[in-house]
Amino acid sequence: MYQVSDASSLLRARRRLLGRDTSGPQVSRTVVLLGLTSLFTDIAAEMVVTVLPLYLVYVGQFSPVAFGFVDGIQRGAAALVGLASGFIGDRSKRHKEVAAVGYGLSAFVKLGLATASTALSAISALVLLDRIGKGIRTAPRDAMISICTPKEDLGAAFGVHRALDTIGAMLGPLFAFAILAIAANAFTTVFVVAFCIALIGFGILVLLVPQPAPENEAEVEGKVVECEREPVRERVSLREAVLVIGTPRFRALLIAAGALALATASDAFIFLVLQDKLDLSLGLFPLLFVGMTCVYMLLAVPVGRIADRIGRGRVLLCGYALLLCVYGTLLAPLDGTLLVALALALMGAFYAATDGVLAAFASGIVPEAVRGSGLALINTATGVMKLLSSIAFGAIWTLTSTDTAILVFGAALLVAMGLAAWSFLRTREDEVHVG
Amino acid sequence: MSAKRRMQLFGALVAACVAAGVVAVVVAAGGVGTTASTAARDVLIAARDDDAPRLVFRNLDRAKPQSFGQIAVAGLSPDATRTLVQLKCERVYFDAGSGICLARGTAFASGYRARIFGADFKLRGQVDVEGVPSRARISPDGTLGSVTLFVSGHSYADVGGFSTTTTLIDVSRGKKIAQLEDFTTTRAGRKVTSPDVNYWGVTFARERDRFYATLTTGGRFYLVEGSVSGRTMKTIHPNVECPSLSPDQTRIAYKKRVGPGGNRWRLHVLNLATMRETALAETRSVDDQVEWLDDDHVLYGFNESVWTVPAGGSGRPQRYAAQADSPTVVRW
Repeated sequence: MYQVSDASSLLRARRRLLGRDTSGPQVSRTVVLLGLTSLFTDIAAEMVVTVLPLYLVYVGQFSPVAFGFVDGIQRGAAALVGLASGFIGDRSKRHKEVAAVGYGLSAFVKLGLATASTALSAISALVLLDRIGKGIRTAPRDAMISICTPKEDLGAAFGVHRALDTIGAMLGPLFAFAILAIAANAFTTVFVVAFCIALIGFGILVLLVPQPAPENEAEVEGKVVECEREPVRERVSLREAVLVIGTPRFRALLIAAGALALATASDAFIFLVLQDKLDLSLGLFPLLFVGMTCVYMLLAVPVGRIADRIGRGRVLLCGYALLLCVYGTLLAPLDGTLLVALALALMGAFYAATDGVLAAFASGIVPEAVRGSGLALINTATGVMKLLSSIAFGAIWTLTSTDTAILVFGAALLVAMGLAAWSFLRTREDEVHVG
Repeated sequence: MSAKRRMQLFGALVAACVAAGVVAVVVAAGGVGTTASTAARDVLIAARDDDAPRLVFRNLDRAKPQSFGQIAVAGLSPDATRTLVQLKCERVYFDAGSGICLARGTAFASGYRARIFGADFKLRGQVDVEGVPSRARISPDGTLGSVTLFVSGHSYADVGGFSTTTTLIDVSRGKKIAQLEDFTTTRAGRKVTSPDVNYWGVTFARERDRFYATLTTGGRFYLVEGSVSGRTMKTIHPNVECPSLSPDQTRIAYKKRVGPGGNRWRLHVLNLATMRETALAETRSVDDQVEWLDDDHVLYGFNESVWTVPAGGSGRPQRYAAQADSPTVVRW
């Protein structure tokens, strides 16, 4: 008699077979749950982000000069914490617990904002804690997504996660404005509701997301937890982590991702250029963001799947080619509405082809034992480069003109894309191609 | 913990969170309906007929959320009784029979409205503005208004950098005249062209057309003197924010940045004839555009109270009205 020793592997195989024929790869329950965690956490985060400037300026006594400086230091601190959390997740093999600390911290911050005094020092401290929370959770969460996903479906899995995450980012401002419309200046209420929503996200992670470990491959309510985990060696030391991460392929990706991020003008700047050129009303700013985000949300999953099929490096480069088109559109003498529509569509597609795809690309390269550290390193490198890029763009804009700034960034992007293409080609032999 | 138990716990968590969120919103929404009687509309008109000076301000009694932010009228003494008016604002100013009130509009996003009202508190017009209300002023002849709002994300520098827009308003027609950003400004004879300029805190002179305001560019702050009809401004003194011209038109009370990196403000008075600065006895960092109680005292909001301090640098600050801000002294 033929015996199935492991029901879950059979189910998994069948699902994958079915999935291939019909709707493409299936993403695991863990990825969807992590996506929902991010969705709820992002609603809360964006609610706070939406009202905090209003709150700080209106209630707190706020000096714009000091703010920029403090802002920079806080981002730096969060990036460093992210590196540590990635490594701790790897070393303890407890990505979930590390991520939970990050999500929990951010939820706690909302409660803090609701109850804290309006002193700027208290609010700055809470904003710092929130950033640290985000720094802590990103790498272990992405590591969990990658560990719970077969290598050939990574692009789709990150696509699903980013799409859910983005829905949260769009709902947040809506919630905040809805509350302020019902009760004017009810900032405390916004924070209380944000805390409740963040707590739901935290609950999904802690109570529903299975810890990615072999013993969890049991059936949960008739559904298979498809979270496989290769046998992992003993605990990694910091030195080993650095050595494994320092392989030529990873180094190539790290440098390419950093260079590309440096040549990427932040969307805030692109909106400002649009506003500058078309004399848009400032009230339209949130709408620009919503338009771009809609495109991103719709394209994240299909583009992730395409990346799984034709190669993540290629899709990543195509994404930056779209950004180049955005720069081109901004310089082109186009009619107002057309310019805005085209720029927003291209930006959304650019994010869809780069954000989750980069995480998938990196996950495919970094060995599982040091996945968290590797992803954290990429996050930190791109984060620092984005900060530098903002400073550079602002400086060029101030000293010369918007068109010069865009031209300089366009040229830099071409160079970065050339560098990336060269390093991807040079190290491509073990890249995963499926289909 | 079993999977079933986890699901139950999660269900309980969601139920608790939804309930708490709904309760929070419902409680806050209870503050929407305003409760002042319509008879209160007559309070300023009666004061005008009696030629009695009045203090108009925002009432900030947190124990009564329904009336929080409502405009109140009281006599010019610290313990005068308050009459609440059916008007809620973030910032209010009143002079020469015209008032301006910055209130949240019904529009989505960052919409505010500068509502213009008369001594009867009846709405005479409104102008849509964007951002977070910061300052509001009416000229001594009641024809010009000015509002400053913080606009987040307007700064090209970085996220987290904020900037302001200051709008001049034709009070009689209820229309925008211009943004100060559109005026031509000169500093030491040279035109200021950098894109990082911000203007805020207008104060109008009794002589029609002339005004003062704050200019910031390149991390420095200046007092500018301007002409509405000429659409020009020129810098006349450094490190002045939120100027406020004295009733006798000889001095300007303002916030001066002091301390390491200019991280705090100290209220000062600038003599316009001699350009001599005098620090006031208030040592706390006050962020407000002060209002002159008379030629010898100023009023300002701090920690949800209105305070007063002598304008000559002597004395010490005293609480003038608790649970109040945005003071404006009304004389007839």
